[in-house]
Amino acid sequence: MELIPILSTIILVATISTFILAIGAYILYKIRESKGEQFVAAGPSEVIAELVTPAAAPVPAREVERAPAQVVVQQPVASSGPQPQPIFIQQQYRPEVKPLQSRVGVPTPQFNVAGYTAAQSPRDSKFMKYTSEGYVSAKEDVNAGALKWK
Amino acid sequence: MKLRQKVKKAVFTIKKKNEQPRQHDNRGSSKYVKRIFVSGILSLILLFIIIYTLPQTVLDVSSLLEYTTIVALVIFLFVLVIRYFAILIMAYLYINEYTYKPTTGFFPFVSIIVPVYNEEKVIAESIKSLLGLDYSNYEIIIVNDGSTDRTKEVAESLVGYQKGKLSADVKVSLINKPNGGKAQALNAGIKYSKAEIVLCMDGDSQLSPDSVKLAVRHFSNPEIGAVAGNVKVINRGKLLTDLQALEYIEGLNMARSAQSFVNLVNIIPGPIGLFRKKAIEEAGFYSSDTYAEDADLTLKVLANGWKIYYEPNSISYTEAPEKLHQLLKQRYRWTRGIIQSIRKHKKLMVNPTINFGDTFIMWTMAYEALIWPVMNIAANLFFIVAALFFGFTSLIFFWWAGLALLDLVTALYCVAAEKEEFRLVPYSLIYRMVFILIIDVSKVMSTIEEFLGIKMSWGKLERVGALKS
Repeated sequence: MELIPILSTIILVATISTFILAIGAYILYKIRESKGEQFVAAGPSEVIAELVTPAAAPVPAREVERAPAQVVVQQPVASSGPQPQPIFIQQQYRPEVKPLQSRVGVPTPQFNVAGYTAAQSPRDSKFMKYTSEGYVSAKEDVNAGALKWK
Repeated sequence: MKLRQKVKKAVFTIKKKNEQPRQHDNRGSSKYVKRIFVSGILSLILLFIIIYTLPQTVLDVSSLLEYTTIVALVIFLFVLVIRYFAILIMAYLYINEYTYKPTTGFFPFVSIIVPVYNEEKVIAESIKSLLGLDYSNYEIIIVNDGSTDRTKEVAESLVGYQKGKLSADVKVSLINKPNGGKAQALNAGIKYSKAEIVLCMDGDSQLSPDSVKLAVRHFSNPEIGAVAGNVKVINRGKLLTDLQALEYIEGLNMARSAQSFVNLVNIIPGPIGLFRKKAIEEAGFYSSDTYAEDADLTLKVLANGWKIYYEPNSISYTEAPEKLHQLLKQRYRWTRGIIQSIRKHKKLMVNPTINFGDTFIMWTMAYEALIWPVMNIAANLFFIVAALFFGFTSLIFFWWAGLALLDLVTALYCVAAEKEEFRLVPYSLIYRMVFILIIDVSKVMSTIEEFLGIKMSWGKLERVGALKS
């Protein structure tokens, strides 16, 4: 007997069996589901949740690994044909770790993305003055009570 | 993991939108009766035209049927091949582009939201895997969605500052709330989080160590609103789970790679999805009015103009259903959920001026969910009828051989691209004729039930605890 008719018969039987299996399994699944069906009442518009969170940070603030200011990855260059260009992406944020505390009843502990720009180094401010106490903002220096030139 | 710190407990309220999964009321059923009536009238008119014009054709009825079938089959084959090669080429172009993209030093604070419902078997292992991440700037928020087993006790034992791989103090918090579904649980965690990026995952999933680091870097592009990860099956070794492992690689991930080439990933998978919090807030958080909350949120994020990228090396290992009825339950929910999402956002589908990307992606979703399964079943039925009633037995062999060859080539490419197990490749020989046929039958049945408005419930897949190993 030739191979193709035998294989065809096997595939035909398998396909018909799969059809029967698929439909049968689906019907059985529906019967099973309908047996376990329960009435679900509509929930209230507000639910009370319980928050469990650590009470205090176990260790003081520490330095986390710093990302390099700019990472440039040079791809291997093929000998011929159009070359892919590496992409340079400027780093926008650096991670900063603040003392970790509980959110319940005490100040929020998480990394403050918005606050990052507020807590800048003196060099980042536009107008700075260097005094015996180090860099201070121009405003602070005006309020210091020293003699002013007019 | 031992509890290293004292914990504080507080009670707070979560406001939730009054959303119920889309079911049909009496007004809805009358609308469907009207629709059935109109389509019946249209069908009768069409039938009348056929009967009236038939004597005027040069062919007799049997020849006409024969030609119609051949034309339908040719169209099906054409669509099949075009679909396959379009996805393959776009996936290849995406992988090519991805290979040349550099890594950047971008490490924003990330909140990992872990919704759990009766996950006592796997929750500890899941959190343990999160503590092993190659990332230092993150916290873990477990949301216990009213579990009835020991999940609450196990989760409470995990609360505290745990030692991570790169950070000595990864904060683990727990929100206990009454049962309200995955969408509400995720929303509670997202609202509590103060991070710029949130990672939503399943309680029964495990992330690969560099998953967060690799996915987060794409957010350095301000246009990216979300990043989809790569889901892989962990409990392999059985026929059904191996076939699903192949399906995840060949069917889901390859399509996602192709979609990522145009930054239009249509579904961010539940086991791993990273979102810019702003994008979720603009989209109005997860909704409970569909059974595919991930597809619904993805469409909303895309509609707001955000781009979505796919990161193939951000891997989440998840347990696949091991029994056929569990698999059917999962696919039943997926199918109906996707159809619900399409119907919910049908305005975007019919009006390409709102967001062309969304329109395109929704038409592809509708095609995959509604048209493709019907075409596949019809083609198989045709060959069965041709063999049984007309004696064309060898046709079914050539049909199978063609499809198997196509699947074999695709499986080889996908397995090589993802550096997956080679032993999965031979499964491609029975993949379409057996596995996909079963799934497609389930999809068609679910679609019919969805359009008839038959009630459904979420259900819960039983876990075997494969993540322990």
